[in-house]
Amino acid sequence: MLATVVKLIARRLLAAVPILLVVSALLFCVLRLLPVDPAAMSLPPTATIAQIEAKRREMGLDRPLPEQYAMWLKAALHGDFGRSIQFGRQAGGLVAASLPATIELAAAAMILAAILGFGGGLLLFHLRGTLFESIADLGSILLLSIPEFLWGLILLFVFGVVLHALPFTGEVSPNLPQPDITGFILLDSLLVGRFDVFLSACRHLILPAFALGLAFSPTIMRVLRSSLFDIYHEDYIQQARLRGLSETQILLRHALKNAILPTLTLAGVQFGILFSGTLLVEVIYSYPGMGNLMVDAVRNADLPLIQAIALTYCIVVLIINTLVDALHIVLNPKLRTH
Amino acid sequence: MSVLQARDLTISARLGGTVVTVIRSLSFDLEPGKIIGLVGESGAGKTMIGRAIAQVLPPGFAITAGSLLFGGDDLVTMAPDRRRALLGRAIAFIPQAPMTALNPVKTIGAQFDEHLSRLGQRGRQQRRERALAMLAASGLPRPEGLLAQYPHQLSGGMCQRVLIASAFASNPRLVIADEPTTALDATTHRQILRLIAAMQREHATAVIFITHDLRLAADLCDDIIVLYAGRPVESGPARAVLSAPAHPYARCLQLANPSMSAQRRALYVMPDQMPSLRQMQTMSGCSFAPRCPLAVEECRRNEPPAVSVAAGHVVACSRAAATPSIDVRESAPSMPDEAARNVLQVVNLAKRYGVGRGLFNEATTVAAVKDATFDIGENEFVALVGESGSGKSTVAKMLVGLERPSSGKILFNGDDLTEPALRNRSRVAASVQMIFQDPRSALNPRRRIASIVTQVMEAGHRHARWDERQKRSQQLLGEVGLAADFAARLPDHLSGGQRQRINIARALCIPPRLLIADEIVSGLDVSIQAQLLNLLARLRAELGFAMLFISHDLSVVRHLCSRVLVMYRGEIVEQGRTETVFGDPHHPHTRALVAATSPQA
Repeated sequence: MLATVVKLIARRLLAAVPILLVVSALLFCVLRLLPVDPAAMSLPPTATIAQIEAKRREMGLDRPLPEQYAMWLKAALHGDFGRSIQFGRQAGGLVAASLPATIELAAAAMILAAILGFGGGLLLFHLRGTLFESIADLGSILLLSIPEFLWGLILLFVFGVVLHALPFTGEVSPNLPQPDITGFILLDSLLVGRFDVFLSACRHLILPAFALGLAFSPTIMRVLRSSLFDIYHEDYIQQARLRGLSETQILLRHALKNAILPTLTLAGVQFGILFSGTLLVEVIYSYPGMGNLMVDAVRNADLPLIQAIALTYCIVVLIINTLVDALHIVLNPKLRTH
Repeated sequence: MSVLQARDLTISARLGGTVVTVIRSLSFDLEPGKIIGLVGESGAGKTMIGRAIAQVLPPGFAITAGSLLFGGDDLVTMAPDRRRALLGRAIAFIPQAPMTALNPVKTIGAQFDEHLSRLGQRGRQQRRERALAMLAASGLPRPEGLLAQYPHQLSGGMCQRVLIASAFASNPRLVIADEPTTALDATTHRQILRLIAAMQREHATAVIFITHDLRLAADLCDDIIVLYAGRPVESGPARAVLSAPAHPYARCLQLANPSMSAQRRALYVMPDQMPSLRQMQTMSGCSFAPRCPLAVEECRRNEPPAVSVAAGHVVACSRAAATPSIDVRESAPSMPDEAARNVLQVVNLAKRYGVGRGLFNEATTVAAVKDATFDIGENEFVALVGESGSGKSTVAKMLVGLERPSSGKILFNGDDLTEPALRNRSRVAASVQMIFQDPRSALNPRRRIASIVTQVMEAGHRHARWDERQKRSQQLLGEVGLAADFAARLPDHLSGGQRQRINIARALCIPPRLLIADEIVSGLDVSIQAQLLNLLARLRAELGFAMLFISHDLSVVRHLCSRVLVMYRGEIVEQGRTETVFGDPHHPHTRALVAATSPQA
């Protein structure tokens, strides 16, 4: 099993090279097609045409596109993604500083989506053939049609504005210090022993994580239910019943482990979407993650920063897909070579 | 005292507002250590009886009358918890499809352990030892290694042995085996039956053996009940029912089955098919009357009474005295003489697959077909037999161009089909047609029959007009014996036998020179099989075509084909005239195949 997993990861690493090359080249071309001039933007509005021209030469913008890409690629391979136009700092550094917050948010949302999705899926399955089935079904479709930003606004309004139950801006309360060791605030606050900071960070995480989790749980719910439906038509479920196993034992010991496989496939795809869903939610909750950074960058046509962030999204999705496939090998004996 | 007593057991189903009787008044006594056979074609309701015992009937089905006394307690009225406590302990089941009856994500060991711990066996180590002992007793080699394996790593026969071991692990008083060999290879049939019989003797278990095969049941069982459309039509000692069937249906069934040893004869063809649940609602009198050669007006009016023809031999027919008079009038289908010329010549055909080719592995190849050389004459039916995985289907796929041969030649009318010229391929495509094994998955469920059977008219440069296709589909339906109104139907509304007729009709659309038929009658009921075999013989006489008939059923092969090729592990190990090969097999594998076919067959 371990050998198969290692082999998979090695294969994915190799495949990632051409994928990243193509994505970065596409990004580079598309961004150069935008009607913005990075040279002009990085100079004060009073700059003369000659100054802008000089800046363009300095930035290499007068060379042919392939050459510009080659230059960018060479620098990027050395970890240099260029200087952010609006912040004047290294784009790579900016991304690295905001990535942990987004990862924390996405992970919390995914855990919530999994819990809600599994619970809901089991409930939906349990209600099959009863009067509540169609009501629950309708409910899950309703949930399915609410996107994460709408959840964000609803939760913010209800729990933040009306009930004053939870904070809805930023990562921690502004009067508290923000320790920075690994960049992950939940981890860092514990490392420095500031339990109050940890608690505050958790409270700040609740609303955005729920907004994302609620939006992505209905798909998991419905896939789990329908794969359970399929599996209950399988012979081994009938055979377990004929061996005298109770319905609870059949569900927990036989059905669930099989139903998880298709659900996991979907959850993997969903996590990629969820990760990009953090963007809007971060904006709504002023969460200092990569999403907010991206919106800033787009608004200011900060090309180097956009490029760095987009590539980071791509890498994260590649890593998640690999992890999900590795998990598949662990859970599905048919995928292991024998 | 009887292990199980069924008294007037009646099962009904709710069908669109009305109630239909699925099983009517079934009564039997099963004594300890005896095997009772429930025999019937699909739709006869035989599986319902096993499900009734466990009370796991499909939604809408319920026991509406009668009782099932198990050791004095009525399973019908018993509290669900008490019945569940009996399942897996005192009552065990051996399933029809062993490959899917084991949980695919759990090891054999884990599943066996779960079962033993439910039986109350304490201690992981003790359970392991008991599992090993049971698996070894079921004839499984190296059971230690088996415990760590997953079901997909085992063959069907091995899975069934595991399930048999698990069924007998609790020393049950009653075992219900529902078509336990149907999904397995012909060569494993015998071994599995022998294992069930040995386990049954050793544990003195009473067994209900559910099967569609009268001969198989007679071989294994003490008593037999023949079911037709949910009615027990004949019951009695197995030998008596087989040697002197008293019900016309049992007699017809026997005559519909091709024989392995007796003189070749034509097959008895019962018209139509067993009435469906829906049709049964509106029927009166004997449910077999519409297909019965002896039926008189009386049969259609009143349900026939059960009469005793010998000690313990009961038949529900008022015309039973005339049953032995039912016979086949036509003579056996004629076999063409040695063909003047060959339509197909296969020379040193081989197919190798690369396996384990990856980043870190050396490429290795597995030979699926090695050096196959044979020919098929004009109008000749040649059989290709062998167990699953022997390469039969690969040969078929190469002949129709679904697989590319690794080496060798396929000469069709002198043209080499292995030549890459595409033009050549499309020209022969119309003359070589394939009929697939599973008629359900071979027919596009969203197309009407008229469009399915004339599919080949869409191919190539000539796009036929719709009215042309409509006309052709009517002719084709007539040729395969289906009513013209089938043209507008969808495949889902057809029975298995009708679907296979559609499959055959499609292959005939542009009259073929060569048909490749891959197990086209396996999985079909005996009466439907007889209809199809006669249809193929008739079509050859009318249209004239050669056929490569892939099958595992030697008696069918003997009935239909003049020559036979025996494949074993990718090689054709023996070929010759059917009578010669089956009468005096030379290769050990051919001998095993012949021996696996029941001697009475």
